[in-house]
Amino acid sequence: PFPAEAGRAPGPPDGGWGWMVVFGAFVSIGFAYAFPKGLAIFFKEIQDFFGTSYSEIAWVSSIMLATTYGAGPISSILVNRYGSRPVVMFGGLLCGVGMISAAFCTSILQLYICVGFITGFGLALNLQPSVIIIGKYFLKRRPIANGLAMAGSPVMLCTLAPLNQFLFDNFGWRGSFLILGAILLNCCVAGALFRPIEAGTALVKTQVAEEGKDALKGKITEDGKEMSGALNVPMENETEEEEGKDCFEKINQYLDFSLFKHRGFLIYLIGNVLMFLGFFAPIVFLAPYAKHTGIDEYSAAFLLSILAIVDMVARPATGIVANSKWVRPRIQYFFSFAIAFNGACHLLCPLASSYTGLIVYSSFFGLAFGMVCAMLFETLMDLVGAARFTSAVGLVTIAECCTILLGPPIGGILIDTFGDYKYMFIKCGAVMVLAGTFLFIMNYYNYRMLAKEEKERKTKEEDPKSVRTGNEGRKNWNNDSTQDGPELEPLRDEGEGVKKEMNGT
Amino acid sequence: GVSGTALQKNVSVGNPTKVELTCKLDDNSKLKNPQVTWKRGNETISHSSKTQNSWTVQLTISDGSQLGSYSCILKGEVEVSATFHLQVPKIDGKERPIITYEGDLAVMVCKTEYAPMAWTWYRTNGTELVAINLSSHTNKFRIKRQSANVNRLEILKLTKKDIGVYWCEAAFRLGSSKRSFELRVLSILAPLKPFIAIVAEVVILVTTIALYEVYSKRKEEEGEREFDQIEQL
Repeated sequence: PFPAEAGRAPGPPDGGWGWMVVFGAFVSIGFAYAFPKGLAIFFKEIQDFFGTSYSEIAWVSSIMLATTYGAGPISSILVNRYGSRPVVMFGGLLCGVGMISAAFCTSILQLYICVGFITGFGLALNLQPSVIIIGKYFLKRRPIANGLAMAGSPVMLCTLAPLNQFLFDNFGWRGSFLILGAILLNCCVAGALFRPIEAGTALVKTQVAEEGKDALKGKITEDGKEMSGALNVPMENETEEEEGKDCFEKINQYLDFSLFKHRGFLIYLIGNVLMFLGFFAPIVFLAPYAKHTGIDEYSAAFLLSILAIVDMVARPATGIVANSKWVRPRIQYFFSFAIAFNGACHLLCPLASSYTGLIVYSSFFGLAFGMVCAMLFETLMDLVGAARFTSAVGLVTIAECCTILLGPPIGGILIDTFGDYKYMFIKCGAVMVLAGTFLFIMNYYNYRMLAKEEKERKTKEEDPKSVRTGNEGRKNWNNDSTQDGPELEPLRDEGEGVKKEMNGT
Repeated sequence: GVSGTALQKNVSVGNPTKVELTCKLDDNSKLKNPQVTWKRGNETISHSSKTQNSWTVQLTISDGSQLGSYSCILKGEVEVSATFHLQVPKIDGKERPIITYEGDLAVMVCKTEYAPMAWTWYRTNGTELVAINLSSHTNKFRIKRQSANVNRLEILKLTKKDIGVYWCEAAFRLGSSKRSFELRVLSILAPLKPFIAIVAEVVILVTTIALYEVYSKRKEEEGEREFDQIEQL
């Protein structure tokens, strides 16, 4: 009954259908990030139509962004329960319904609900599962896959901006929303590509500590050794889980709150929450800053185009670099460097007063922005492993939600108070350099702790009289091979099958 | 002015007022002690005053005929001039055609820098402008005064007959300015065609992907069955 699965490698395929999944994630992530930004074209018209002020319209964008990030944990819970595919398809449907109903809205409040909440929630259901499923399909080539998928955001933005303008010129805002609703249904197509890769849903989640990242190769061969040695563990796991299933355990199944005890996760969380305070504000204010220095509107818009084009190329390129054997084991350092580089760009921006200077700034900013985005989820996967990533990403996005929303308004307040844009750039630059330095130092500490734990584990392993408690047995499992019951069965059976053959001959 | 190119500046004047125009020479300019004349068209204005490096003329604008272009001309080694265009405040509004749908509401907003005395809305009928009379079309038009310098026309229950050009006029004591808006009314079917096309594309793609998955699963199972059969043999 299991020959096909027994023949499969004990790890993600790293290719094949995986590239179709990357394409689906490209589309899905692209819509999730680019769609809210693309809507800005319609705001002036809607503001006139309903006779509201600019800030009331801006709330639509804010609600959408807040819902997309804030609904992260819900998305994670649903993926843990049902897998990526149904969640993304439902998300696509929700986005479509949201925008289609927005086309018939008669008040700004209805727009808040249709565009803000419903479409925002649909996009949240698109974003998380897409990132999660990449972790399930890729391991060795995961940084490349992540880089390619995240490139969806600038590509979609460059496509949506002129498309939205075209739709608006020909169909007005109502017709455009209707057609955009249909376009968002393409997220369902992306979701259809997310073929589930594990049999059944991962209800049994073992508490796995993260491994020392000496070399991935080493781990995979260790895997082979450990599997034959620790085949008793799955049985122990299942009985233990059944006994200890109280309320807390049940919640933990759906959303892994024990992550808050995970050192790597906490480092990532604090560093990222800090970083997002200064991440988006410069993009929001780049065009106004350019106009402020006397540049005309089209040239100012062109700066953003340069940023997007450099970003588009930077993301897959960063993925390839991050995948190389020199960088991958130290990917956390690379990530901290990218953040600090970002900060340095912002700190130097006030020195660029001419248009050429701003073009140089935009190019470097695009590069830095792409580098950070490409590795945003890769580094989290690297720290917590693919199994716990589902919950991790949900918890991280809801924490980031606050600072993402606060960033541009704080920048705006700085600009209004001082009447000068340079303080906003200095603030963003300082925050990001701080975040980058924090991550660098903490990850250095983390790597050392992981190496120490690895050493301890190896010495215990070599001692044959060591009692394999449930905890230690679990610790021996490689993060990146799946730990749920159904997955282990075929391997155990294979082992037994081999024994039978040997007995028979 | 510094370079040889002519400088322009627009000055909005709505009500009768006194206007002071100043031409100032940069410290690093080539001109030293130039001869300065203020002109409006061909006629020279005599009463201008001079300070160290700036020349000022004071004008009293009491009616529309006094609006226009006033220039200061500095003659020396090179000739430099700057022009001030005194005009009635312009109206800001939408440049592109307004696209709406049958049964929907159309909104046109006009905004000026200074508040005019009165706002009037017109509709083009053939070649002439017909003022929109609220009392005769109470359920069709609504004019809202959002503030003194922002005025808003709402056209309700749109039909194809409402297609055309509409004007808003801001009347100042010194004159009036106008702006036009083109209104287009589409039927609901217009965006429906691309909508249905895209939904069809989505359905076709999802079905294709699902069918391909079923097909490749069956191939796998067939392969397994053959494998089992070979084992049994």
